[in-house]
Amino acid sequence: MWQNPANAMKNTARTRLIAGIALGLVLGLLYGWVIRPVKYVDTTPNTLRADYRTEYVLMVAEAYSGDADLDAALIRLAALGSQPPLDIVLEAIDYSIEIDRPRSELEVLNRLANQLRDLQASPEIGGP
Amino acid sequence: MNKGKWLPLVIGLLLGIAAGLYYAWVVNPVEYLETAPAALRDEYKADYYSLIALAYASTDDLERAQSRLAQIPDPDYASTLSQLAQIRLAAGRPEREVRALALLAAALGESPAPFATTPSTQGDSSPTPATATRTATITRLPRTNTPTATPGAPFEMVEKELVCNLDLKVPLIQIEVIDAAGQPVPGIEALVIWDEGEDHFFTGLKPELGIGYADFTMQVGVSYTLQLVDADIPVTGLFAEECAGEDGETFPGSWLLTFQQPAAEN
Repeated sequence: MWQNPANAMKNTARTRLIAGIALGLVLGLLYGWVIRPVKYVDTTPNTLRADYRTEYVLMVAEAYSGDADLDAALIRLAALGSQPPLDIVLEAIDYSIEIDRPRSELEVLNRLANQLRDLQASPEIGGP
Repeated sequence: MNKGKWLPLVIGLLLGIAAGLYYAWVVNPVEYLETAPAALRDEYKADYYSLIALAYASTDDLERAQSRLAQIPDPDYASTLSQLAQIRLAAGRPEREVRALALLAAALGESPAPFATTPSTQGDSSPTPATATRTATITRLPRTNTPTATPGAPFEMVEKELVCNLDLKVPLIQIEVIDAAGQPVPGIEALVIWDEGEDHFFTGLKPELGIGYADFTMQVGVSYTLQLVDADIPVTGLFAEECAGEDGETFPGSWLLTFQQPAAEN
């Protein structure tokens, strides 16, 4: 079939442009996702992996068992996100049970959870 | 050969790379939702260290504290923690936190970490603590665990010595605090008062000089009063007395005060 040389050249150019874009896209994604992905080196505690997060909560609970400073414990737990502090501790307890942590650790966590429950309940005691 | 015919390919390639990078870095970047403590911002790392120290102060479980510290690779934990204690002391953070950091730093200073620290995978660079430049030598006594002061038993000054040491660049009030058995005690708070102000410091913040050691820099011509918070009687009239060097030249001297907790009476 006869093709106008000008049209053939145009088609070739378009094909090469599309091939270039496709190849570039692949290279760009490869570079951006694999070779040099965005690095999060300045993260906050709320991005910690579940095991580290649980360890963090355990440390808060251990510190609390030493100083009985509930306000300080609340401030420390707040670093783990906007969830209610009791939920954060309960999550840590669940995870600790799941990975079969020692009973002593569960007790420390549970003591903090109980204090947080009391704290949640206390405003309603004197309420209308 | 017509170079122009490859131009569309090159333009396409550049457009594609730009679009790919934009998508990979901006629109849908790799998300690190499950990070490790080593990736924490410096201020949170410092908080993490404090938390480890506070937990250690409560549980006295050094092995656990060491395994927790290993989550944030650092060449010298004892030094980093003692530096942090001093920074937090200066920042007016709670005494309990500073004391906990000092205690853990002291415990680590005498008990090298038994673990191999894992290399960071996040390109993290923990602050490298400054190395001590002082040349004072304090003899450390072999011990098996970190002693703490017996609650309620006040310390007494048992020795006061003028130190004429040219290696000390500035005149210091140096204190050594030991328990009834002669073992150095970290985490003891000392208060220094002078005409225009006051300051406080803790033993154990320079574990390289001994875990019961602490010092304070004096200004020449100023008289200081020092009192351990756990002692009854203050030491007054401390000032940088003149010392004579070998060549007859004078320089301001330092004081070394040793405090000891009396043995419990049976």
